[in-house]
Amino acid sequence: MTNARQLWITLIILLVVSFGVLLWSGREIEIAKPPLPELVVSESGETIYTRDEIQRGRQIWQSIGGQQLGSIWGHGGLVAPDWSADWLHREIIAILDGWALAEHGSPWAELSEEDQNALQGRLRARMRQNTYDEQTGTITLTDYRAEAIRGVSAHYESLFGNDPATEELREAYAMKNNTIADAEDRRLIGAFFWWTSWAAATERPNSNITYTNNWPSEPLIGNRPPASMFLWSAFSVTFLLAGIALLGWHYARTHAHDPEPHKLPSTDPLRSVVVTPSMIATGKYFWVVLALFLLQILLGALTAHYQVEGQLVYGYEMAEIFPYSITRTWHTQLAVLWIATAWLGTGLYMAPAISGKEPRFQALGVNVLWVCLLIIVVGSFAGQWLAVMQRLDISQNFWWGHQGWEYADMGRFWQWFLFIGLMIWLVLVGRALWPALRTNNESRSIIALFFLSAVAIGLFYAAALMWNEHTHISIVEYWRWWLVHLWVEGFFEVFATSVIAFLFTRLGLIPVRTATVAVLFATIVFMAGGVLGTLHHLYFAGSPTPVLALGASFSALEVVPLAYIGFEAYDQWRLSGATAWMRRYKWPVMFFLAVAFWNLVGAGLFGFLINPPLSLYYMQGLNLTPLHGHTALFGVYGMLGIGLVLFCLRGMKPDLVWNEGILKTSFWCFNIGLAGMALLTLLPLGVMQLLAAINNGYWYARSEQFMQQPFVDLLIWMRVPGDTILAIGALTFAIFVASLWLRPRREGDAIPASEPKQPGIEPPPESGKPANAE
Amino acid sequence: MEAFYLEIRNVHIGAVLASGALFFLRGLGVNLFNAAWPMWAPVRYLSYTIDTTLLTAALMLMTIVHQYPFVHAWLTVKVLLLVAYIVLGSFALKRAKTRNARLAFYVAALVVFAFILSVARAHDPLGVFVSGRVW
Repeated sequence: MTNARQLWITLIILLVVSFGVLLWSGREIEIAKPPLPELVVSESGETIYTRDEIQRGRQIWQSIGGQQLGSIWGHGGLVAPDWSADWLHREIIAILDGWALAEHGSPWAELSEEDQNALQGRLRARMRQNTYDEQTGTITLTDYRAEAIRGVSAHYESLFGNDPATEELREAYAMKNNTIADAEDRRLIGAFFWWTSWAAATERPNSNITYTNNWPSEPLIGNRPPASMFLWSAFSVTFLLAGIALLGWHYARTHAHDPEPHKLPSTDPLRSVVVTPSMIATGKYFWVVLALFLLQILLGALTAHYQVEGQLVYGYEMAEIFPYSITRTWHTQLAVLWIATAWLGTGLYMAPAISGKEPRFQALGVNVLWVCLLIIVVGSFAGQWLAVMQRLDISQNFWWGHQGWEYADMGRFWQWFLFIGLMIWLVLVGRALWPALRTNNESRSIIALFFLSAVAIGLFYAAALMWNEHTHISIVEYWRWWLVHLWVEGFFEVFATSVIAFLFTRLGLIPVRTATVAVLFATIVFMAGGVLGTLHHLYFAGSPTPVLALGASFSALEVVPLAYIGFEAYDQWRLSGATAWMRRYKWPVMFFLAVAFWNLVGAGLFGFLINPPLSLYYMQGLNLTPLHGHTALFGVYGMLGIGLVLFCLRGMKPDLVWNEGILKTSFWCFNIGLAGMALLTLLPLGVMQLLAAINNGYWYARSEQFMQQPFVDLLIWMRVPGDTILAIGALTFAIFVASLWLRPRREGDAIPASEPKQPGIEPPPESGKPANAE
Repeated sequence: MEAFYLEIRNVHIGAVLASGALFFLRGLGVNLFNAAWPMWAPVRYLSYTIDTTLLTAALMLMTIVHQYPFVHAWLTVKVLLLVAYIVLGSFALKRAKTRNARLAFYVAALVVFAFILSVARAHDPLGVFVSGRVW
């Protein structure tokens, strides 16, 4: 059995077992999720909320942007509060104040420490007690708690409306006036918020841990990390170290000896590839990438600015047209869309180039898919805007408006349309690759891996179709993270690794056999942690302890391959200078090096910072989350997208001279800008919030009292230098791409007549100097 | 944010003076001494750093004092003249083809810079023509 064959078998077994366990975990969450009651009543028999009201409240919350405006159980936007934690704290204070006024004649905050502790002790036991009756589906609350709920509900009704009393708070939360137009709907959104806070404060039956594993941190009712969280955090670090040690041993074993000599081609093998009509047609994908990218940066600047001016943008009442909720929605959605478009374009460009075959009507398919993508972007964005501006009936929202689930926000119709688009893409790539996949040579394995990662990206979007309008939020979160996590920390990683290795084999810089084994091995290592690592997003989303344990253990393993990414980066850097003609690929390779750097820093270091359960318990939804998000999503996949665009452009217009100066400016602006954003704002602000969450409770770290401090404001403003530099990087990159069409400069020397154009890009025959000659 | 108003204002003014002084020296170097150092990478990066600081402080001040370009005339004039200053400066240091042309652009850029200062001091779009002083 060959090495590659063994690795294939190992990979298949690993995936079957991992997905089996992941599905089993879903079943466990289904069993252990917090119950949605039929009725919530007070001891005196008054109905507080019904199931339908809680459900409708959630629909209303989703329609105004859901997780894009504040968060639930820590998942979502960062400027408005976490509604679960905020409601819980307000309810607690309302009860304590009620008791304190009745028994001591002054508010709780003004009592002596002894009296405060006495009331707090009484409250803790009563708040945590589970009064849900499984038989009747009823939650029974004390009368004083019902009274507190009425008070908190009134606050939210004021906040989500147009009441001048809460105007300053709306500004602090970057909420537009009249976020919810209808008064009854404003009451019902409170029903949903209350239920999520109830799940966070109420102990599971026969347990002393709440449905959300004691999240959020709330000292007043004894919500603190349970023992299991300490235990599995410690184990996760241990697993990480063990994984690093094992992989270190593997690298030592495989890198201890010099690589087998490999002759390099004397000319650029890709230069003589015939560019087919469908390959040329992919040019417009890269134009769309640029447009979406620039729009994403603009929306990011707007979104960040709302943190300081609330509803205004330099005095202009922007929130009346594009409120925070919509700019953040589009900003996050565009991140995925432009990166995905770059990859779709790359797949469509590469497939006929690899096989040397242009299937019939391939160019037509490429053009139709491009039009579909435009319709999806414009249509889904329009629906979201109509929903957030409350111009869409709530009954239409799920299909056409705003689903409110971060990164899966578009209406269900648009999700189906996008899924169908991805299937069309797979068909187009598959039919063009088919001749190469059928050819029995050593390239077949790596082409298959490249194609399989593309298939996985396409098929796994189906996870976004697994929930419906009224699916329990714990189950929605489970499937949502199938989509987001398995994409970015699973198949995207595999795609990135395989596509870069694949390109180097096509350039003739590394032997196909070596690349195949390396990519297969890397895929196994990525997927070993990546699949079950999905569960680390679900620690506090109504999951039981075994899910937490699995998530902690396996997500720690995700960092293992990133610890050794320096090997990969060094190889790429070495190969970039291996031949004279590789200068043509200097900038794509530089962007691939940036991918490796940010994979280590953004995904590895900043990712692991928030990864262990104990860390995430305090850090979820603080600025340390976007620290990881920006540096990993843009740093890794954004840079990869740009590198791939450059690679395709080099092939699409092989005779053009590149303006290297402008590309250099762009490259360094991207990297310095991203580092500035991370180090000047997100990291220090996140650390400040972390200390506040540990010392005062999670609600405080997200509250207006904390976020409106002058020093926090100053840190937010410190985003301007980094963001500006990053924007200059994007603008100069756009100018570079545009200049290839608008002001092309051709090389003086054409391709020699003795070097005929060839269909396809088979790895070149070995000739010239060996790769390791130096 | 208002708590840091004076500090931010001082940073803004300091960056303005540093930016102007650096341009003045680079222009002298290019136009009078035909020197190479004004275009050295560290000098250019220093200029970018100062200008980014200046811009950040300016944006912060706008939101503190609630005065904005295209709403308040003196800020509108400042922004438009800033664009003119950047273009003139670019020609003065690099883009103009002859030495005389570079010199003319250099003088024009310095005049525009001085007028921007006077607009900032007077909080009036007419700047020096109202207040009677550049600084």
